[in-house]
Amino acid sequence: MEYQEIIKSAIISLRRNIMRTGLTMLGIIIGIGSVIMIASIGQSAIAFVTNELSSFGTNYFQIIPGGDLFSAAGGASQDPLTLEDAEAIEDADISNIESVAPIGYASRFISANEEQVSVFVYGITQAGQNMLKPELVYGELLTDANSTDRVMILGIDSSEELFGEGINPVGESVRIGDARFKVIGVTKSDSALMGRFFNSAAIIPLEVLSDDIRGDEELAEIDISVEDTNYLNQTMQDVEFFMRERRNIDDDEDSNFTLTSFQESLDTVNTITGLLTTLIAGISSISLIVGGVGVMNIMLVSVTERTKEIGLLKSIGAKESDILTQFLIEAVVMTVIGGIIGIILGILGAYGVSAVVGIPFVLSLPWIIIAVVASTLIGIVFGLYPARRAAALSPIDALRYE
Amino acid sequence: MTSKTPLIELQDVTKKYPLGDGEFYQSLYGISLKIYEGEFVAVMGPSGSGKSTTMHILGALDTPTTGKFLFKGKDISSYSDDELAEIRNQEIGFVFQSFNLLPRTTVFKNVERPMMYGKVPSEEREKRVMEALRLVGIEDKAQNLSNHISGGQIQRVAIARAIIMNPSIILADEPTGNLDSKTAHEIMGYLQDLNNKGRTIVVITHEEDIANFAKRKVRIVDGKIVSDTST
Ligand SMILES: Nc1ncnc2c1ncn2[C@@H]1O[C@H](COP(=O)(O)OP(=O)(O)O)[C@@H](O)[C@H]1O
Ligand SMILES: [Mg+2]
Repeated sequence: MEYQEIIKSAIISLRRNIMRTGLTMLGIIIGIGSVIMIASIGQSAIAFVTNELSSFGTNYFQIIPGGDLFSAAGGASQDPLTLEDAEAIEDADISNIESVAPIGYASRFISANEEQVSVFVYGITQAGQNMLKPELVYGELLTDANSTDRVMILGIDSSEELFGEGINPVGESVRIGDARFKVIGVTKSDSALMGRFFNSAAIIPLEVLSDDIRGDEELAEIDISVEDTNYLNQTMQDVEFFMRERRNIDDDEDSNFTLTSFQESLDTVNTITGLLTTLIAGISSISLIVGGVGVMNIMLVSVTERTKEIGLLKSIGAKESDILTQFLIEAVVMTVIGGIIGIILGILGAYGVSAVVGIPFVLSLPWIIIAVVASTLIGIVFGLYPARRAAALSPIDALRYE
Repeated sequence: MTSKTPLIELQDVTKKYPLGDGEFYQSLYGISLKIYEGEFVAVMGPSGSGKSTTMHILGALDTPTTGKFLFKGKDISSYSDDELAEIRNQEIGFVFQSFNLLPRTTVFKNVERPMMYGKVPSEEREKRVMEALRLVGIEDKAQNLSNHISGGQIQRVAIARAIIMNPSIILADEPTGNLDSKTAHEIMGYLQDLNNKGRTIVVITHEEDIANFAKRKVRIVDGKIVSDTST
């Protein structure tokens, strides 16, 4: 018998008991739906983070004070990074280093006119400015000429709060405490992550931050760009080795500073998402097995109910393989339709979540293929036993069945 | 009755059904019967006398406990299930008393189904289905669902399906058992027409007026043939 015809007659049989068919599909729908939803959200998250991180550039890494979360020196920063550290790295002649950008930080109130806003004030150098590449709306960037002056580049949000929307504040004067600064530019970032920081921040020369605002040379981080990204990890190891030497850290001690690269962050996000997806896939596979057992149950009931039909089919010449295929296909049609509904619901769910969270929605094609294959396999695996029972019925027992 | 080899032959056939505990129920006690091409035979007898059992053996649906069943002279007792399915598909057309049609399936698809098992090419099928439906005067119901037609129409569809593979013999087990006498006679009329065109037909019935359509009457009582008369 042609498959097309078998599928048609399978659908007729399944529609005879539409309610039961629907309930039986539920386990499959939930299982497949949740995998697709989580996988799609995961893919969307990866896409989002990748996009964000690549806007930073993948050719540099950073050093931040304190050990990593798992080390003895975790979090605490009794050993701050200083400008001296940055200069030492720069002077150390480590190969592949393009430039070293010390970045300082302070949280302060800036006032202008009658307005006052709380901002993150970043102190950077020319090297830092080259790496961060702030995009200007008004004015100009820091130059060698003004690197010791009290000049400030405002983030767009800070600027609007202080001076109002659409106002060009270049040339205006603002104060941090008693120190007066001249606004030389306004910067704006469209990146979701960067923008949240920089649009409500202010940038001033690092030297000015150290001398006039903080009164010390502590740094928030040191950003280091490399010439060849392929050797980024090697360069990170070299720098770590250099810093440990410099700080006289014993071999068995943890570092009191941490190196991270954006590539590493990206890998972390990938790993977490992959882990999460696998976890959910694992949990869902339980739901799929439960769904599969449900399919098997219903198919067994169906075989019993349709014993006379099986007898009739055998009397008109259906072979065992014909009956087997028919019931198997019924089970597969049921799980595949359930799978497809699950895929659609999963995609809709993921789309909704992406929209609410505000990340771009990404369709996960590989998972869709996996879902289709999985639902087909479940139909085959759990449909086989009932189908074989049906096929093995003797024509006479089936016909005489009441 | 002119050919030497009978189309179907039962030689001293018995049938026992196991009841568990090593007990058996015996429904046939040595049935011997020859049916030749072109015959129209009525198998008669009271309920429980073994008529259906006999028909199931004649139709290769069941096997004798002892004795022989020869189809076109061949002993098919060693045939595999698939080979028997093929014989039923190609050589035998069944009409049952009830549950003749696939539920919620069109008349057309019901009649077409044996051709699918028989691997008849799809181009040929439609023509043959319509031809068969025309023979029983029901071609206008081709697209009706099987549960939306009357009992008499169902039996006509069953007859159309029984002849669709052009079988050697049609076996009908109380085909009029659920019908009023007018419709019953109509159905028997169609079977008679088919017989007049040369088809071999065996009808099982316990009603005399139905049996009167046949040319030969075989009476079974308690699993034994008690009379075999031709008109
Ligand atoms: N599978 C079976 N197991 C036990 N007894 C059976 C079985 N099939 C039929 N019988 C018995 O065999 C006898 C003959 O049955 P059947 O051939 O159907 O009679 P009829 O068609 O003449 O009414 C009946 O008494 C019936 O109960
Ligand atoms: Mg009977």
